[in-house]
Amino acid sequence: MSLEMTHDDVRAALAAEALGALDGEEAEAVRAHLAGCDECRRELESLRETAAALAYAAPQVPMDADRSARLRARLVARAAADRGGASADAPPPANRIGALASGDEESGVIPISRARGRRGMMGGGWLAAAAAVLLLIAVGAYAARMKGRYEALSDRYASLDQERTQLVQAIAKRDSTVAALSGPGVQVIELASTQRRAPGGRMFWDPATARWTFFAHDLPALRPDRDYQLWLITPAGPVSAGTFKPTPDGLATVQATYALPRDQLRAVAVTEEPEGGLPRPSGQPLILGTYGE
Amino acid sequence: MPDTLVPAQADRELVRRMAAGDEAALGELHDRFSTLVHSVVLRIVGDPDDAEEVLEETFWQAWRQAGRYEEGRGGISTWLVMMARSRAVDHVRSRRRFREERWEQLPEPAEMDGGGADAGEPSPLESAQADEVRRVVAQAVAKLPPEQRETVELAYFRGMSQTEIAEATGQPLGTVKTRARLALQKLREALAVLREDGR
Ligand SMILES: [Zn+2]
Repeated sequence: MSLEMTHDDVRAALAAEALGALDGEEAEAVRAHLAGCDECRRELESLRETAAALAYAAPQVPMDADRSARLRARLVARAAADRGGASADAPPPANRIGALASGDEESGVIPISRARGRRGMMGGGWLAAAAAVLLLIAVGAYAARMKGRYEALSDRYASLDQERTQLVQAIAKRDSTVAALSGPGVQVIELASTQRRAPGGRMFWDPATARWTFFAHDLPALRPDRDYQLWLITPAGPVSAGTFKPTPDGLATVQATYALPRDQLRAVAVTEEPEGGLPRPSGQPLILGTYGE
Repeated sequence: MPDTLVPAQADRELVRRMAAGDEAALGELHDRFSTLVHSVVLRIVGDPDDAEEVLEETFWQAWRQAGRYEEGRGGISTWLVMMARSRAVDHVRSRRRFREERWEQLPEPAEMDGGGADAGEPSPLESAQADEVRRVVAQAVAKLPPEQRETVELAYFRGMSQTEIAEATGQPLGTVKTRARLALQKLREALAVLREDGR
């Protein structure tokens, strides 16, 4: 049942509304009346301004300086994260790389893609990720304060803190990956296959830093006790760049550091080998990409 | 509210920047108003930890709602203070529910005295103008008949509804409404005088 209130009833109740003292049913009736009565709405605004001035009647107690500084930092960090999250429409770098690595379905040995600048990968997604870390730090600080008061929160805090640490580490790793792909002199070598499910890959090579970053897709699952092995083929023979196992959906990433003169790379290849790898490839490459200046 | 209370243009600019996503403006808003907001919140919740929590919620709400702030309406300090008061009262109410306490058992807050004169370190609001507002509000409150002052005190700082006040004071609901109205009218007149003096 809704309460019926006349204009005069409402007028008489506006001061209580301005002080936040109306009970539910009456508050509803007053708000319903306000929607159609300018006079009452103006009066309420004026009374609310007056009621707000009562804040000056409370003894002025500044917040403790440390507490205030922490609160300020938390607020600004939360706001920055809020803004970063809202405006980050660019996908994070890893997604772009994934899209890069899974695009090609043609068969046959793929010719070399010549060096391409890989600038412009540090987009809004990256900023959002950094902002998310700030947010987690802010949440961590907040949780630290609550911990003393609510013991039950301590477990949650520990997991948050761990989550934060993991995120920081993941982002540091991503940062170094992005750096390895985004140097001005980074070379790109594509690897492809004639097989039906068309495994493929892309190698990013930055001769300046000797960093190699390899992404592969659609790799067949390995038998037990087997690994894939990545090879840099040079005039002196194949050099192992490491062994790896693909994820259940056939994806893999390998990073390696190996200094090689620019004119010494002939090809990049992946073979299947006994677990742990061999000094020399034992079989035919599953995927191969040739390279030449 | 007379805009003598705050340099209105500068504050509105802060809110416009917040609405545009400038988090530094939120920091500045905090610097400008944290003492005023903290004072009223602490008065209501009575505990520094609770006050900090309410302040964080309040400034966060200001950040989220900056885009919906209507410039034609009240001043920024009214907007903030009313959000803070309402959150502080909710805080006390939920705590009360949680502990199944009656309001009589809550710690007695200090008597409403207008404060200010001997308050702690200066804040950005400790301007001569703000001091003047504080003096006028304190005087106007002091001149209220005790039963009107009590009504305002119980509603504004204790978060009691008019029904609760009627029960607590043994007065009819209509009387509680009348006392609230008379008290706010007198306070409004006092602030109007301040505005005329200020021009
Ligand atoms: Zn009306």
